Amino acid sequence: MPVSVDERCLRLTDDDGRSGVLLGMRCSECGVSVFGPATFCQACTSAQLEGIELAADGVLFSYTIVRVPPAGWPGPVPYVLGEVELPEGPHVLAEVIRCDHDALTVGMPVTLALETVSMGGVVESERVVYKWRPS
Amino acid sequence: MTQFRPGREVMVVGVGLHPFGRFPEQTLSDLARDAVVDALQDAGVPWSAIPIAYFGHVYYQGMSVGETTLAQLGLTGVPIINVENACSSGSTAFWQAYWGITSGVFDMALAFGAEKVPGGPVTVTADDSPARYVGGDHMMAGYALRMTRYMEETGAPPSALAQVTVKARQNASLNPYAHRKETYSVEDVLNSRLIADPLTLYQCCPTSEGGAAAVLCAADALDAYGIDRNRAIRIAAATLTSGSYNGRGSDHSAFSPYRTEPAALQAYEMAGIGPEDVDLVQVHDAATIGELQQIEALHLVPYGEAWQATVAGRTALTGDIPVNTDGGLLAMGHPFGATGIRMVHETVMQLRGEAGPRQVENARVGVAQCSGAGDVTTVHILTR
Repeated sequence: MPVSVDERCLRLTDDDGRSGVLLGMRCSECGVSVFGPATFCQACTSAQLEGIELAADGVLFSYTIVRVPPAGWPGPVPYVLGEVELPEGPHVLAEVIRCDHDALTVGMPVTLALETVSMGGVVESERVVYKWRPS
Repeated sequence: MTQFRPGREVMVVGVGLHPFGRFPEQTLSDLARDAVVDALQDAGVPWSAIPIAYFGHVYYQGMSVGETTLAQLGLTGVPIINVENACSSGSTAFWQAYWGITSGVFDMALAFGAEKVPGGPVTVTADDSPARYVGGDHMMAGYALRMTRYMEETGAPPSALAQVTVKARQNASLNPYAHRKETYSVEDVLNSRLIADPLTLYQCCPTSEGGAAAVLCAADALDAYGIDRNRAIRIAAATLTSGSYNGRGSDHSAFSPYRTEPAALQAYEMAGIGPEDVDLVQVHDAATIGELQQIEALHLVPYGEAWQATVAGRTALTGDIPVNTDGGLLAMGHPFGATGIRMVHETVMQLRGEAGPRQVENARVGVAQCSGAGDVTTVHILTR
C-alpha cells in the first residue's frame, strides 16, 4: 500500500498512490486557513480549528530551477521548485513536474500531482509526495 | 514600547574576530577562543572580570562548546549559555548580553560565536523531515523564489542584483578578515554557475568558518573596570523578533515587511531615532536579494527601490547609505554563530573611526540587522 509522505498534509484517496487531497486547518474564530497540521491558529492563537481539504488547483506565486540540490534530495536534478498560492490562502512549496522550464511564468495555473518517491536513509522506503504540474 | 524596559546604558567596549574562511586544522573552539582573546584585549579587561558569557553556534560539534572553549581561558565558574537561533545565533547571544546588563543583573558580559559550516546547500529541517522529500528545504532556493518575485514586481534587471555582489567584493578587498577578497565585475557574477535560477553562485554567501566576540559593559561601570570611555560605543537599541503571521504560511514575497520590519521599527523607537539618522548599516545578505529586501524593510529606501539605490552607488562605501561595509555575508562568508557579532564588530570599528581603508566618514549611527530561520530578526543600533 502506498504511504503518504506526511499524512497530516496529504491524504491518499486511492490504492495506487495516484490521487489524493491536500489537508489544512481552518480557524473557526478568525477564518484563517493553513496548510498542514495545527493545534492553535497561527493568526489568532485560537484552539477552535477544523480540518479542511484544500483545493487541488492554484497559481504559481514564484518558482526557481534548483541546479544544486540539498543533501539527500531523492529526485532529478535540476528540479523546479514552485510556491503555489491556493484559493484558501495558504502557499504550498513543492516540486513542479512535467513542465517546460522556458514556459514557467509567475501566475500560471497549476494542479496537484502525486508521485511515488524512493527515500534513502537507514531503511529504504517509498512515499507518495505532493507536487504540482501545469494545468 | 511597553515590553521593553531598558535600565542602565550599555556600551560595547571590546570586539574581536577570527578571520573568516576555511581552517581545517583548527577546531570550533580554536576559532571562538581566538576571537574572545582578541575582544578581551581590545577591551583591556581580563577574562576573570567577565561575569557571564553567551555563545552563539548552530552545527553540532559536541555539547557545551561555550564552556569547553572558555575553559581554556580559566575555570572561573561563571554562567555560560549556548545559544542556537539559526543564522541569528550570534546576534541573539549579543542581544542577551545587552539585556543581561541593562536589566541590572550584570556589569559586564561576553557575547561570542563561531561556526564551521559544512559545504553545500544549507537546510533547516531534520534529515528525515518530509520537507526534504518535497524539495522545499533549500536556503538558496528560498532566496531564489524571493528574487523571482522581486524582479517580477519591481522590474529589477539581473545586473542590479549582481551589483550587490560587486559592491560587497569591493568592500571585502579592503578587509583582511574576509573569506573572499577578489573583486568581480557584474559579468563575472552573472556568468558564474546557476545555483537556483536566477541566483548564480557569486550571489550566494559562501558557507564558511570563523569566530567573533564582543565585550559589553554598563556605562556606569566603565571606570570601575578601567575601560577607556573614548573607545566605548553605545548600544542605543537591541531588538529581536520571531515570525509573525503573514496569511500565507510558506512565503517568499518580493516584500516581506512582517519579517524584518517589526524588529526595525521597535529598534528605531527604542533608540529614539529614524532611518534618516542612520550613517551605515550591516544587513543579512545571505544572497543578493536579501540585502535589497533588508534595506527596504529597515526603511532606508522605499519598498521596491533598493535595486535602484544599489545601481546608483548609494549603498557603496562612498554612498549616502553604505551597506555591508566589511563585505557582508556575500564576501565575509557566513559562519552562523559568528555572523551577527561580526556585524557588531564592523559597526564598532566604523563608529570608532578604526575601519582603515573602509572607513565611512563621520559615522555616528550604525545599524546591524541579522536574520535567521524561524523568521528570527535582530536589530541593533549602535551610536558614538
